[in-house]
Amino acid sequence: MNPTPLLEIEDLRVAFRQGKQDVEAVRGVNLTVYPGQTVAIVGESGSGKSTTAHAVIDLLPGTGRVTGGSIRFDGREIAGQGKKVVRALRGSQIGLVPQDPMSNLNPLVKVGRQIAEVLVANDVAKGKDVDRRVVELLEEAGLPNAEQRAKQYPHEFSGGMRQRALIAMGLAARPRLLIADEPTSALDVTVQKQILDHLDVLTDDLGVAVLLITHDLGLAAERADHLVVMYKGQVVESGPALEILQNPQHPYSKRLISSAPSLASQRLLAQQRAEVREQAQEAAEELAEEVAHTDAEFGGGGDYVVEAEHLTKVFTLPGTAPWRKEDFVAVDDVSFRLRRGTTTAIVGESGSGKSTVARMVLDLLKPTSGTVRFDGVDISTLRSKQQQLALRRQMQPVFQNPYASLDPQYSIYRAIEEPLATHKIGSKAEREARIRELLDKVSLPWSVSRRFPNELSGGQRQRVAIARALALQPEVVILDEAVSALDVLVQAQILSLLAELQSELGLSYLFITHDLAVVRQIADDVLVMEKGRVVEQASVEEVYGSPQQEYTRRLLDAIPGGSIELSR
Amino acid sequence: MAWYIGRRILQAIPVLLGSTLLIYAMVFAMPGDPIVALFGEKPVSEAVRSQIEQQYNLDKPFFVQWLLFLGNAAQGDLGMSFSGRPVSELLAETIPVTFKLALMALVIEAVLGIIAGFYAGLKRGGIFDSTMLVTSLLVIAVPIFVFGFVMQLTFGVKLGWAPVTVGGDASWDRLIIPAFVLGLVSFAYVLRLTRTSVVENLTADHVRTARAKGLTDGQVNRRHVLRNSLIPVVTYLGADLGTLMAGAIVTEGIFNIPGLGNLAFRAIQQKEGPTIVSVVTVMVLIYVVMSLIVDLLYAWLDPRIRYA
Amino acid sequence: MPEFPADVPRAALPGQERFVAPLDQTPLAETGSFDDSRPPENQWKEAWKRLRRNWIFWVSVALLAVVAVVVLLPQWFTDLDPTYAQLSRSLEGPSEGHPAGFDRQGYDVFARTIYGARASVLVGVLCTIVVTVPGVVLGAMAGFYGGWLDAVISRVADVFFAIPLLLGALVGLAIINNLWPDRGYWGSILTVVFALAAFGWPQVLRIARGAVLEVKNLEFVDAARAIGKTRRANLWGHVVPNSLAPVIVLATVSLGVYIVAEATLSFLGLGLPPSIVSWGNDISAAQNQVRSGQRLGVMFWPASALALTSLGFILLGDAVSDALDPKSRNRE
Repeated sequence: MNPTPLLEIEDLRVAFRQGKQDVEAVRGVNLTVYPGQTVAIVGESGSGKSTTAHAVIDLLPGTGRVTGGSIRFDGREIAGQGKKVVRALRGSQIGLVPQDPMSNLNPLVKVGRQIAEVLVANDVAKGKDVDRRVVELLEEAGLPNAEQRAKQYPHEFSGGMRQRALIAMGLAARPRLLIADEPTSALDVTVQKQILDHLDVLTDDLGVAVLLITHDLGLAAERADHLVVMYKGQVVESGPALEILQNPQHPYSKRLISSAPSLASQRLLAQQRAEVREQAQEAAEELAEEVAHTDAEFGGGGDYVVEAEHLTKVFTLPGTAPWRKEDFVAVDDVSFRLRRGTTTAIVGESGSGKSTVARMVLDLLKPTSGTVRFDGVDISTLRSKQQQLALRRQMQPVFQNPYASLDPQYSIYRAIEEPLATHKIGSKAEREARIRELLDKVSLPWSVSRRFPNELSGGQRQRVAIARALALQPEVVILDEAVSALDVLVQAQILSLLAELQSELGLSYLFITHDLAVVRQIADDVLVMEKGRVVEQASVEEVYGSPQQEYTRRLLDAIPGGSIELSR
Repeated sequence: MAWYIGRRILQAIPVLLGSTLLIYAMVFAMPGDPIVALFGEKPVSEAVRSQIEQQYNLDKPFFVQWLLFLGNAAQGDLGMSFSGRPVSELLAETIPVTFKLALMALVIEAVLGIIAGFYAGLKRGGIFDSTMLVTSLLVIAVPIFVFGFVMQLTFGVKLGWAPVTVGGDASWDRLIIPAFVLGLVSFAYVLRLTRTSVVENLTADHVRTARAKGLTDGQVNRRHVLRNSLIPVVTYLGADLGTLMAGAIVTEGIFNIPGLGNLAFRAIQQKEGPTIVSVVTVMVLIYVVMSLIVDLLYAWLDPRIRYA
Repeated sequence: MPEFPADVPRAALPGQERFVAPLDQTPLAETGSFDDSRPPENQWKEAWKRLRRNWIFWVSVALLAVVAVVVLLPQWFTDLDPTYAQLSRSLEGPSEGHPAGFDRQGYDVFARTIYGARASVLVGVLCTIVVTVPGVVLGAMAGFYGGWLDAVISRVADVFFAIPLLLGALVGLAIINNLWPDRGYWGSILTVVFALAAFGWPQVLRIARGAVLEVKNLEFVDAARAIGKTRRANLWGHVVPNSLAPVIVLATVSLGVYIVAEATLSFLGLGLPPSIVSWGNDISAAQNQVRSGQRLGVMFWPASALALTSLGFILLGDAVSDALDPKSRNRE
């Protein structure tokens, strides 16, 4: 006999009111969760995965509402049955672990009290028992010093600790279903792994079913029994996790799997990378030759285009008393060399100092000590405006946030023209021709030039940012988390665009990222940073093949889905 | 924390000095002969004149006069008014009246503004919300003295519920109508601020999480929405006390209340230098002290803020 | 808690069979496509679109359009001379050709209300300009450069901010009235403007400084630095244009607030001199009639005109604020 399903979603439709019309965000979704099972909904941003989950507990944001279909919990219809029906289930039957640990705890209320609220509201505990139970729950969620922690405010917790508190909260009243909405995507990979492992153990022990919402296919496949792939509000494919991963049928799932950096075949990648590198180095050498014979730019065309030596950055923070300043060492004695036509990746978690290194190399931030040499010239010795502009021409950044890295008031044309105008390059007609060429290089149509950044998608904006960075024909591009904010498919496209440009133009990349999985696709050398220091420095093959440091191994281990065999 | 307070007080000193210097300079530029004003139309002999000039330091350069004023003020001597009474005495009489008036106005605007703003925010887009929106904008658009007259006419003249003017007896009950008038504009701001803040908090992630915990709407609104929404409102109210005391100049004129505003207004009309400078100094002092209190209040209300 | 049965193959559970959506029902969109049919829109255009949909905006536009016509062409509305007094008709009620009757001095109240618009609107508009320009320039520099420049500018602004607007303006006006008693129409208007502005600019400065502090750390500012733009070009080319939204909102609302402030100064007898036809003066002159309950119309007309004008600007400010900051747009 089959067990009875815990949650059955049938032909669910959710619409948001926009102006005078309804826009459907979820269109006919079917989904079944059995008791004790983990089911994952996988999709990109805008796929409707979170909306589906929020519809279950009737917490749709804004104007969202269920327009059709049914949601049955434990055999009982709960969609459109009035507020009270669902509220009775919240907390006690269905728990929620929300996405962003930073914004999901009330900053003004002690963590312990916020968990106590669940117990009291659902009549799980009373009086003195409440405090005791709160401590137990926090301990259970893997928080050390639970008794003291319960008396603290959320801001005294790290991101990982907050997420543990939220897990304690979601499980406090022992629900039968836990909705985990991207529970770890805001956390560092190593923390992410710890927390997911812990959540797995807990829900297994308690027999809680989990509806896991995630954008990460590897993570979903690793954690879930059953997978539901969503795309633009519809389910495109669903079935047993491993089966979908190894034998995807729908073109969208195929694309998703082939784009996921953590799932890609290593051998294939290494091959592709070697080809790109060969071409890029060739092109770069020609370029270097040229540069060496002109007076306009500086540099001698040596093997290493950027050399950082003993870079250190100390920030002075105000201490407890005016004379007691605290020194914070953000970057501690970092040295590396970037070979012409290759990519060096700097990998680290938040707070590792990797972006500070990037800013120092870009001469946006003065190092406390140490030097950056561009093509043999110490950049701190560049005094004249002419020389400084020459340096700017040869080294350009692409930043992380595609929404903040373009001035919203500049049209795309103006955004790409700005570097040309600043350096007084070309006539009006020449500039226009150059902008056409650049847009073409990043595969954007000319018509995009009239548009403004807010009209473009994240991937398109990042293409514009790349076009802008290339406008001055730099030798080095510094990519500071340039693909981190993008969806997997878009990320894959941008990465292959970057590789293409590298081999064509002989660019050298300094690639800053927290995501080790991406590094394999684009980098030749890797620097692993932790707390301002370089812990490991080697070629990509060495880092992946035989990591020397415990920290690097932990980072590699934490890549979701890394261990899944794809028989292809 | 102690260091933070210390630093803030250090920062306040130049503001305090600068403001008195500014107002002192303005008063110094006032035309007219203070000695003539002091003696009225009576003729003054040269000897008496120079004696008074020395006594009041009128013969010294401006900057020295200012420093001497500061020195005396620090010892509680704020000079003499034209009526021959020490300014400090006048302040001691008027400050409590105006403080009482401003405090009542503050309570009225806070209670009404927060309640109305909270409900308007919860039921945004509803009839109550729209009514309150238009009301608040209207209150800001109409000059306060027009409201003063209307209230005076309605409650004082027509209905006779309240005295038309307050006069010498500034007791609580007689001050209610003036306090309401005084607090009206700030009421509009409190209402709007509360409403905006409530609406913002209603869509906050942690409020959704609170709902997911199984709390009722009432519990969520009280414990998570209202409380978090009040932080900007409370800091606004703190800073508003000074504004109200300064705004009393109009209200006290209409209702003839013997407060600081009235004193200031008469002093300005009669160009009574020491009184003007003293009143403004008091106002600046209130502003400086209240902004410090507001900052500390903020830290107390919001545990995230830690001053070092 | 029901246990998950291990002996049943998972794929076989009802509702969890392998499912692949037919491709014709779930077509793949080209990633990176965008709607090329619409005309390009920057954020100002978007704000304008939102503004157009807001009824409050249209109410304010209607009010301000009327005010503008009254200010520019008062003779269209009345043939009477607002400075012609008929003492014999003092406090007379409405009559043919005199819809609002006469005030104590025997002036026609309607004519004075029409002609009084100019002074009020002039003070409001000029005050806002005089306050906004230095407020933005100094605020932007203080926020962007920081350090000692910020400390000096902020401290000086604090000095002016600490003195209450009304009190400071009153003292200032008392002095100027004495030093320069007869200064004509423009002279009087400008003194009131500068007396109010002297203590009003720090508010703009604070808002502008705060906005600049937020914008200056955005990535596009760093990106512009990295192409070699100077700090100054960055400040005026990128940072300031992106910090203007809150300043614009404040300026629109201030227009209304300064109009009210001028009336208050005139009410206290230190604003515009009685020789200038203005709403504030007329309201002030009418206070005795209202107090004694004689004829309310004398105050009603100028007071309503003043309130509607100021309301027009304040409503506009409200609508603009909603349009420029869609996050705060919480009316559905």
